[in-house]
Order: sequence, then structure tokens, then C-alpha cells
Amino acid sequence: MNDSKSIRLHYLFRAAVLLAFAYYIWHLTNENALSYYVAPALARWIKLCPIPLGLMALSLIIQAVLGKSAMLCNCGHRLPASPLASGALYGLFLFPLLLGFVLPDRALGSAAAVKKGMSFSYSAVEPEKSVRFESKHPYAQEFTELAKILYEQPVIPVYPAIFSEAFGAIDMFKKQFEGKEIAVSGFVYRDQAGEDTGPFAVSRFLVQCCTADATPLGILVDPVRQQHLPADAWVKVQGKIRVVPQDGKELIRIEASSITPIAQPDAPYIYTSADSVETWHELEKFANKEK
Amino acid sequence: MTALSPMKIIPLLLPAALLIILVVMWLPEYQGLLNNEYVHTFKTGFIGILLEALPFILAGALLSSLLQVFVPDEVISRWIPKRAIPGILFACVLGIVFPVCECGMIPLVRRLIQKGMPVYVAIVFILSGPILNPVVYGATFMAFRNHPELAYARMGLAFAAAFLIGLIVYCTVKKSPMRWSAQREMGDMAHSHAVRGGRLTSVFVHTSEEFFEMGKYLLIGCLLTAALQTFMVRDSLAAVGGQPLGSYLFMMGLAFALSLCSTSDAFVASTFLHTFPAGSLVAFMVFGPMLDFKNAMMLMALFKTKFALYLFFLIFACVFIGSVLLSPWL
Repeated sequence: MNDSKSIRLHYLFRAAVLLAFAYYIWHLTNENALSYYVAPALARWIKLCPIPLGLMALSLIIQAVLGKSAMLCNCGHRLPASPLASGALYGLFLFPLLLGFVLPDRALGSAAAVKKGMSFSYSAVEPEKSVRFESKHPYAQEFTELAKILYEQPVIPVYPAIFSEAFGAIDMFKKQFEGKEIAVSGFVYRDQAGEDTGPFAVSRFLVQCCTADATPLGILVDPVRQQHLPADAWVKVQGKIRVVPQDGKELIRIEASSITPIAQPDAPYIYTSADSVETWHELEKFANKEK
Repeated sequence: MTALSPMKIIPLLLPAALLIILVVMWLPEYQGLLNNEYVHTFKTGFIGILLEALPFILAGALLSSLLQVFVPDEVISRWIPKRAIPGILFACVLGIVFPVCECGMIPLVRRLIQKGMPVYVAIVFILSGPILNPVVYGATFMAFRNHPELAYARMGLAFAAAFLIGLIVYCTVKKSPMRWSAQREMGDMAHSHAVRGGRLTSVFVHTSEEFFEMGKYLLIGCLLTAALQTFMVRDSLAAVGGQPLGSYLFMMGLAFALSLCSTSDAFVASTFLHTFPAGSLVAFMVFGPMLDFKNAMMLMALFKTKFALYLFFLIFACVFIGSVLLSPWL
């Protein structure tokens, strides 16, 4: 009977672990912290996970409490054989929960950007040499369309919803955009740690699925006047676009006339947009209504 | 199953108690250790990867349990073509109808093998499923807006490599490479009918067994991946990429270490577009979904170690040679 007792114990313990996972996800959803870890498209599915987790825990509890001893065979030999093995197994499952509850939820910042390698240009597109907004590549159509719209703005607003597309479009036609006024927000990133004045990059992490594939994108900024800005501080930068050569490549750089510290947005990362031109029109409509 | 007798726990309790005392005494003085940038980057990376995999592994475990409880064995073997080549081709297109991510794939495939799917067909499904599906094709196409040929190359190479590996496994492996013996599978079958609360409870009890079984490998994989991402500087590795074939090795090593989801790795690959030859990017996008930290752990759990290592070698060789051969056309 000892055997069935320990199986019951295992089942109850597993049920508790499953419920703890369900609670953790519920907690993240409640705190609006899921966006620190995964993209919204995936978050939808993660929010549903507590349902199967809860059902699994419930079934295990039913088994542990009501199941007849004879039926509780460990025929599959799937339960750990020694206390040490069970300790290691459950320790492994409790570790992420411990980490999750003990440490505060924080978005990726400069430290991660250094490891992942900051990109100062949108490398998926070729720079276009032509003076007019046209591209020979049929797949760059969307960026070309967006570039035309952005060019007509007195001050180009880089909306977070289409940050990567706007960055790509400007990078693609950087020669034409030289001298245009731009406004963009992001966190402060510096190659050399320790300094807190001088040039930096206004940066965002582009996330496809989760933090594992986060790619840091940054636009170089040249502050006109000295200002103390620690790394990872969130700022809004406005200024003129310049094209400067750096390491054999031409990069865009903002000659900043104003840098204002802002609070970290609720959604710190940026995501790709299915149709950036469409999104732009919607954002503009919304912005006009606000006015 | 040994009972939890107190005599056995005491030798473990002493060091554990000592450890707890040490942690409690020292921790307040070294708060900085716990609160530095590395720990936060590690946590954000680790929880991110874990949360990303969670819906997929739950779906895989649930599907596998539904198969276990509701689908009789004969049905599966009737579906699969008996001859080798049609069988392999069948497995290649299975990914199109079953777009499961690689984390959900392994519990599902294990059940399919137990239900009579030949091992070589299962391997082709494991390898091709995460790449040869419409979702991944669309994502790759989006990431390489100016280079659609890379999306075609990725699909083509994944198909060719999976087909070839399936054929090699069919010809060379005769003994069952599974870690679980037939007898234990039978025990498992008997178990499924002896659950209180009807079939639905039985499905969920099985799902949780599957979840804990595969979850531990997933967790170890996530831990290692997050640690690598926290401490490895990508640029320092890029020096290896300087040699002619070095870039291929570098990109494949990176794919292994990063354990990205196949739907999102194309964008990461596109950031290397001007640094490395296009062939090495294809190697990255084909090798990663087939073999990375996370699923290497899970494959080791599924197959005997010797066979798993053989399979890793086959995947490496096929993708490496294939991508180098493809490069003149890219």
C-alpha cells in the first residue's frame, strides 16, 4: 500500500505545481507583464494555458483522492524512483516559478543589447540609390509606399506600432530623408558603459515571438547640448536626420534639438506589422481624433 | 518505487540545511549578486522562452493523450503508406496539415511511434514538420523581403535533408532505437483504462504525465539557452565566421545555441544578411528547427543515446553539405 500512497503524494504535488504555473500566468496577465516576455500574438495563447493546466491539476487531484489503490499502478515507471530524483524533478519545475515571483519583471535593456549586437541599420533591405521613391524589388513595395507617406510629414512621427517598418523605410531611402525632422522614442543605449553624457542610440527591441529572438534596433543620436542620461533611461528624441559614414557603412544619425525623458511605455518592445501602410493610416486617423 | 523513508532523507537533509543557513546568512550582504543586470537578463530570457514553449508543449501533450485514449492503433498504421518512399513523402507533407512547433512535436511523435508509425517516418516528420508548413514559409518570406529565393531555398533544403535522413535511417537502422521497451508501452496501455472518472479524466492525467516527462528536458534546454544568451557575446563568436566555411559552422552553432522557434528565426537570420553568405543563413534556418539545445534534450529522451547521436550527426552533415552545395545559386 506504501506504493499507492507515494503515487497519491506525487499526484498531489504535481497538481500543486500545475496550479502554481496557472497562477503565475494569471498573475502575469493581471500585472500586464506578459508583454515583457512574449509578443501579443503568442500572449493570446499563453493566456489560455491556465485552462488545460487547471483541468490537468483537477484530474490529478481526483485520481489521488478518489482513485482505488489497485488502479494506481506506476506501470509506465514514469514517476521518479528515489527521493533525490523527485527532489531534482520538482526543484526544476519550481525554479522558474521562484525566479518569476522573487525577481521583479523587467524589460530587456542595454545589457542584453550588448550581447545580442545592436543593429544601427535595417539590414533586410538594400539601400536605394535613386532620387525618387521607387524600388526595383517588388517585395520592397510596402517600404517604398511608407517612405512616400513619411516624407510628406513636417515632423516624421515614428509610431511604436510601425517602428521597424519606418526605420527600414528611412534607412532604405536615407539620402532623400537627410535633413528631415524626426521624432522617436526608445531607451538609451551606449557602446561604452559607464558614461552618461554624449552620443547614444535611441533603441527598441524588435520581438517576433519571445525574448529569445529579440533584436535590438537603434538610431544614433548626437545631442546638441550635454545632458545626463543614464543607460536604459527612456527618452523622446526630436531632431534632423543626417547620414554619416561609420565602419565603411552609411548610417542615419539624429542631430537632436530636444531630448525629453519619458516613462517606460507599457509595451516596451516593438513588433512587426502585417501591413504598415494600413496601420499608419489608422494611427493617423486616431491621432487626428485626439486633437 | 522506493518509499520516502526517513533514514534515506537524513543524509540529504544535512547538506541542505547547511546550504539554507549559508544562503540566509550571506544573501543580505550580497544583494547585488542577485540584483545585477545578468540576473535580470537571464530571467527575462528564461521566462520568455519557457512561456513561448508552454502552449505548444501543452498542445502536443494533449494531442498525444487524445491519440492514446481515443484512437485505436490500427487507424494510424492504416494511414501510413507501407512502402518506404511513399511513407517518407507522406511524413514530409504531414507538417503542412499539422503545423506544430518542435516542442509540441516530440510528445506527439512518441505516441505515434507507440501506435505503430515506423521510426523513419516519425523522424522525417520531426525534422520537416517545423519547417515545411505555411506559417514558417510566410514568416521567412516576410523577413527576406528582397530575397525570396532564400525562402524557397529553406523549404527545398529542409525537404531534401529530411527525405535523405529518412531514407538513411530506413536503410541502416533495423533494431528499435526507442528508449522505452515494448513491455512498458503495454503497461502504459493497460494503465490508460484503469483510471477513475472516465475517459476525460484519463486524458488529462496522461497529459500531465506527458507534461512532466517532456517538461523536464524542456526546462533544462531553456536554462542552458538562457544562460548562453546572457553570457555569450555574439560578436566575439563572429570571428570564427571569417574563414570560408567558418560562417556556415558559426551560423549552425548559433542556431543550436539560440533554440529559436522556427516561425521567428528568419528575422534573426536576416540581421546577418550583409555579414555572411546567403548559404549560411539557409543553414541557420534549416538546422535550427531540426536540432537545437531544447529539442536535442527531448530527442535524447525519446531515442537511445547512440541512435540520437547518430541522428544529430546525420542532420549536421546533410544540412552543412546541402547548404554549401546550394550557395552558388543564392
